[in-house]
Formats: sequence, structure tokens, C-alpha cells
Amino acid sequence: MMELFNNLALGLSVAASLKGLMYCMLGVTLGTFVGVLPGIGTMATLAILLPITFHLEPNFALIMLAGIYYGAAYGGGVASILLNLPGTATSVVTTFDGYPLAKNGRAGVALFTTAVASCFGSMFGVILLALFAVPLARVALQFGPQEYFALMLLGLMAASLIGSSKPIRALVATAFGLTLGLVGIDLNSGTARFGFGLPVLFDGLPLVALAIGLFGLPEIIAYAGHSVRPQATAREITFRSMLPTGDEMRRSTFPMLRGSLVGSFFGALPGTGGVIATFMSYALEKRLHKNPASFGKGAIEGVAAPEASNNAAVQSAFIPTLSLGIPGDPVMAIMLGIMMVHGILPGPNVISGSPDLFWGLVVSFVIGNLLLLILNLPLIGLWVRLLSIPYHLLFPVIVAFICIGVYSVNFQIADVLILLAFGFIGWGMKRLRFDIAPLLLGFVLGPLMEENFRRALVISGGRLETFVERPISGSIMAVITMIFAWVFVTYMRRLVRERVSDSAPKQGI
Amino acid sequence: MYREEKVKKLLRAKMGDLVAGLLTMAIGGFILVESENYDLGTLKNMGPGYFPMLLGIAMVAMGLWLVVTAQADTTGTSSDPGPSLRGIACLAAAILAFALLIEAAGMIPAVGATVFLASRANKGMSLRGAMVLSIGAALASWLIFRVGLGLQIEAVSL
Repeated sequence: MMELFNNLALGLSVAASLKGLMYCMLGVTLGTFVGVLPGIGTMATLAILLPITFHLEPNFALIMLAGIYYGAAYGGGVASILLNLPGTATSVVTTFDGYPLAKNGRAGVALFTTAVASCFGSMFGVILLALFAVPLARVALQFGPQEYFALMLLGLMAASLIGSSKPIRALVATAFGLTLGLVGIDLNSGTARFGFGLPVLFDGLPLVALAIGLFGLPEIIAYAGHSVRPQATAREITFRSMLPTGDEMRRSTFPMLRGSLVGSFFGALPGTGGVIATFMSYALEKRLHKNPASFGKGAIEGVAAPEASNNAAVQSAFIPTLSLGIPGDPVMAIMLGIMMVHGILPGPNVISGSPDLFWGLVVSFVIGNLLLLILNLPLIGLWVRLLSIPYHLLFPVIVAFICIGVYSVNFQIADVLILLAFGFIGWGMKRLRFDIAPLLLGFVLGPLMEENFRRALVISGGRLETFVERPISGSIMAVITMIFAWVFVTYMRRLVRERVSDSAPKQGI
Repeated sequence: MYREEKVKKLLRAKMGDLVAGLLTMAIGGFILVESENYDLGTLKNMGPGYFPMLLGIAMVAMGLWLVVTAQADTTGTSSDPGPSLRGIACLAAAILAFALLIEAAGMIPAVGATVFLASRANKGMSLRGAMVLSIGAALASWLIFRVGLGLQIEAVSL
């Protein structure tokens, strides 16, 4: 207990410093802004801001980026409610009951509930992080390369199989990403792999150019040539109109709690995250509700639960990332990338080796979420007005800033060209219905996975059984097999059902 | 005649899965071939080519599965407005312009060109509006990045 207190005090000294507060504020405001705007997602923003953070100290860089991440989880709900357009992938579910509430003139209540639920979910996730990260890291110290490999495999498999409607394609993307991660000089043998004689590729593909090219450019292009801007139901939203009725407040409490639990679970599990969490928690609330038919027509529970769960997922995604060094989702992969650039090797030693980093982050989460709650309520009017800036003015400037950002990482023109190349690859992948996120996960994990795989086999003398013999890695492998089996069975069932009723729309894999 | 048409129609409907699968197999095959150039080693002592080889095999296998189980995709188009050809061309030109100009001419010309070309993607953007936006953005980026953040990029280098 005393230890926890000391750690929190240390964190406070970092997070509550002038710089810490400034970057936190910057991060959460930017994050909310990005979350509110449909089109530019969290991934794209983080990737775009990545190069700037290279010039900052790692503590503050992470505080700011994290602020953007959970800030976006707040903002995403705004566009969902007002425009029926999700600002982020995790806000899709909020449109189900949020938009009907807005149509009934209760947009203010929906927005208020979003803010409160988000704060609740975040705090829940942060508490879990503070309590469990350290013991988890201690357990992880007993991990050998087999365990790390198994965990990374679990993360990749879960991301592809559970988190995707087209699992095989997601697996392909993962494999491709893993290979891309191996481009460059292999540290073990000194061989240049997939370099094709280009010295610029010796250090591997630049993360920033790849991430922005894959995620940012296709999103930008999708809206680029069009002047379609949906009309906002901009109404004067007074503070008075935002307060929910006592009954509604009561009905939201348990959904928020349940949402937070669901969110934390999926957030902490490597490979799954906010998107699944929100859908699951919505489904759960609907099933538990006395009157399920009220869902979809403006049930406050349908807004409170998903919003709490997506914030909880976002915060608890830091648990595996910081204590094990295994990214919970592609955003975490980027965070890890930053840590590595600053010379911090992710893993169980991060917490003990850089306690100011870890606890500074944790405390900044608390501060950030409180800031968001206080800021968001009055700023809602601003966000509404913001949603009416014509996109065609914004996006060319964004493109230029992206180019500057990508170039500034290594001062290599080649990086900008790689950006363009991956923009096309990302676009192509979307056309062919491939998920992009698994590629990024694979890219970041590629070298790590190979390293652990190699080491495990060297230690065991070339015996593959070592992955199953050791208890921890064995159980992880068992979980992976179960996931595979479940997905396979579901797929088979769907095939049979589609054969039987040939008129139903088919999805493909 | 009728049978031929039916087959053609079926093939076209399955096109998505087929292309995806064939492309995957091609890339996987390429990875496989390339990895043979590196020392493979053994399981006990993996060389640089081993892991890529495994990945290549996996991709070829999955690509084959996609081709074999190709299903006609009748879920229809997504609600996303697809990118226009003009949008893609302008964006590509914009980024290329940046790559060509940033070291040859400096940040301000590069940003100006990039913004100008990118803004042409939208038909609603007037030529004058594009010029104003480019100049404004170029100056703004100089202020933000060079002056504000201290980024070491030449403003104008000719």
C-alpha cells in the first residue's frame, strides 16, 4: 500500500508539472477534436503526430499521445449522436441509441451521458492499470521466449479471428505485416533481407510512413474528391437541457459499471479492443434489460454502456503494453514504437526501470479524464460548429503536414515515397476487403516474434513441443486453439446456412 | 452459350475473393522465393531465411484457400463514398511534389505545391481559392514547424 502511495506521488510530480499538464491538455483536446471529426481517426492522428513526439521527452510524448487516444474515445460519441456518423470505430454503437435521442430533442442528455460514462469507464480502467500492471509485470519476469511468442501469437490471432468479419484476410494481412517487419538487416546474421540493394531500407521500413500511408491516406482519399458534407442538426444545447432525469441517471449506473467491466476485459486482452467491447456491452445491456424493444429508439442504457466500455478498453489496453511489452491494439503498437525510438525497451522492466514514465502516465490518465469531463461539457457547442468546416479546405493542409511529419523523422525523401506507396497499398487492401490494422500489429511484432521464436528453439534444441510443454505458454496455445476452433465452427455453420438459404447475402472470408 | 455466360457471371461475382486470393498467393510465393536466397538454417539454429519462409508458406496456403472457397460477394457496396480517380491522382501528385521539392527547393515551395495540388482534388475548389490556401498553409507551416518547433528544414533553398 505504501509502495503504491509512493509511486502515485512520483507520478504526480511528473504529471502535475507544468509541462506535464500542458501536454496532457494538448493531447486530450486534440484527441476530442479528432474524435469528433468523422474521417480522421485516432490511428491516423497518432501516426501523424508521431514525428513531433520524437523531439519531446518520452514521458511527455506518451502523456500527450495517450491523451489523444482516450480523448478521441470521448469525442467519437459526439458525431455519432448529432450526425449519426461515428467519429471513431468504437463509436459506431453509440449511433444506435444516441441519434434517436438527438432526434427526440434530447441530444444534450445523450452528450452529457457520453461524457460521464466515458469518464467512469476510463477511471475504472486506470484503477485496474494501477493495481494490476505491477504484479503482472512481476509474473512476466518469469516469462521465457516461449511465453512471449505465445502471447504475441495470441494477440495477432485474436485480432484477426475475433476482431474481424473476414478472418482469413486478416490473417493474410498479419502475415504480410510480419514480413514487412523483417525488412532490413537481420541483427543475428547481418544479412540484409528484402532490401533489394536499397541502402535506405537497411534500417527497416519507417513505422511512421507505413502507419500514416496505410491508415491516414485511404481515409483522407475516401472523402477527398467529394464535396458531400452531411448536415448537422445543430441546436442550441444549453447546460440545463443536458441534465438527464433522475430516473435516467439511475438507469445508467449499472450499464456503466457493466460496460466498464466488459471494456476492461477486451481492452486488456491483446488483440481485441474497443470495437468488440462496445458491441458486446450493447448486446449485454439489451439482453439484460426489462424492455429490450426500447433499444434502438433512444434508451439511455444503450449510450451509457458502450461509452463506458470503450473508454475502459482504451485505458486497460495499456496494461499488456506497459507491463508485458505486447501491444493490445495497433494504437498501442505505435506507443511501443515511440518507446523504442527513445531507447526504452518495452517489457516487464519498463515499470521498474522507468517508474517515472509509468506512474507519470497513470496519474496523467486521471488528470486527463477529469480535464475531459470538465472541458467537454461547455465545449460541446464548439464541436458542433466545428463539424461544419468544409472538408475540402482542411484536407490539403493535412496532407502537407503529413508530408512534413514523415520527412522529419529521418530526413529522407525515400520515406515520403514509402508513404505514398503504402497509401496505395492501404487503398488496395481496402478495395479487396482486407483489414489493415492486423498488418500494423504484425509489422511492429515481426522482429520480436522471430527473435522469441528463434530463441525458444535454440534453448529447447529445436523442439517445437517446448511451446506446449511449458505451463503458461501451453495454456496460451490452448486458448489460441480454442479460438481457432470456435471461428472455424462458426464459419462452417454459416456456410451450411448460406447453402440452405441461397438468397441470403454472403460475406466471403 | 447459356452455360458459358453463367460461368462468366459467376466468375465476375467471385472476383473479389479470387483477386484477393491470387494476389496473396503471388506475394506469398515471392516471399518464399526471396527467402530461399538467405541462409535457411535448421529449426534448431534458424537462419535469416527461415521465418520469412514460414510466412511465405502461410500466405500461399491462405491465398489458395481464398481462391478455392471464393464466394460471390453479394453484400453490396459499403456506405463509404468511394474515392474518385481525380482525388487519388491529385493526392499522389501532391505527395510526389513534396518529395521532389523539399530538398531541392525548401519547405515553403514544397508545402505550397503540395497544398495546391491536393486541393485540386475537389471540384468545388476555385483556382484562386487553391492559391490562397497554398500560400497560407506554406507560411503557417513555416511558422509552426520551423519557428515554433525548431524543425531543421530549410524554408527556401534554391
